[in-house]
This record gives sequence, structure tokens and C-alpha cells, in this order.
Amino acid sequence: MATVVYALCALTSIACAVLLLRGYASSGVRLLLWAGLCFVGLALNNVLLFVDMRVVPEVDLSAWRSLPALAGLLLLVYGLVWETR
Amino acid sequence: MRELISGAMAMAYAVAGLYFLRFWRDSRDRLFLIFAVAFGMLAAQRVLLTALAGEQDAHIYPYVVRLLAFLLIVAAILDKNRPRAPSG
Repeated sequence: MATVVYALCALTSIACAVLLLRGYASSGVRLLLWAGLCFVGLALNNVLLFVDMRVVPEVDLSAWRSLPALAGLLLLVYGLVWETR
Repeated sequence: MRELISGAMAMAYAVAGLYFLRFWRDSRDRLFLIFAVAFGMLAAQRVLLTALAGEQDAHIYPYVVRLLAFLLIVAAILDKNRPRAPSG
């Protein structure tokens, strides 16, 4: 059950990133770029979560997997604050 | 350090959720409302993960919340991109 949840978290976050970046590519709306980049970070976080929990459980990657998520979120907050009125 | 990063992420999710809520208030576009709800859920699951850090049995529930939030976002984007029937 946990393996399925971790895998689906990775797959759905990748899907979000792809959909948002495709939306930016077709419309040029910059909010979609920032949101897409955020989900690239979240997708990396969730892929590393799966790797941490199921592939190499003997190694603790918890600190490393948080960093791309935090970076993605900072990009989104930057985009929301700087690019929107 | 871990708690600091977790707190920063929870705050960033919450701030993003508030922005989306403002966009929904201004535009009444349901995409923004769904995004606001999803980011609120992501903020809550981040807090839950930190609160439940020592409890192995409850570990999966925050990730289920995370999965539901991502599914909401995918659904919102697909709904927004759905071809609309021509009016008139």
C-alpha cells in the first residue's frame, strides 16, 4: 500500500509538472512557468521519496529530498509575488 | 535543520494557497479555488509529517493527503483545458 502511494505521488507530481509546463509553452502565461518549475521540484522530491523508502531504505535521504521541493516552492512564491498584481 | 526546512515548506504552501484564493476571489475561475484547496492540503500534510515524525504506523496518511492534492491539481488542469461546447 505504501509503495503504491509513494509511486503515485511521484507519477502525479510529474504529471502536474508536464501539464503546467506544456500550458506555459502554448500560452506563455508566466504563472504557469513558475508553477511548472515548482512541480519539477516537487516531482524530484517525490521520486527521491520513492527511492528513499523503497529502493535504498538503509540510506536516509530525507534531508536531500526536501531541498528540491523547497527550491521549487521558493520559485513559485517568487513568481506569485513578483509576477502577479 | 529538518524542522526548519519543513516549516519553510509549510509556509510556502500556505502562502501559495492564499495567492490562489485571491485569484479565485478576483476571477471566480474554479481552477484557482481548486489550487487553493490543494495547496492548503499540501501545507497541512507537511505539518502532519513533522508532527508524526516519530510514529511509524501513521506515516502513510500524510502521503495519501499529498496524493489527493496532486490528483486535485491534475483534475483542475484537465478541467480547464477541456474543449468547451460552442455557445449559440
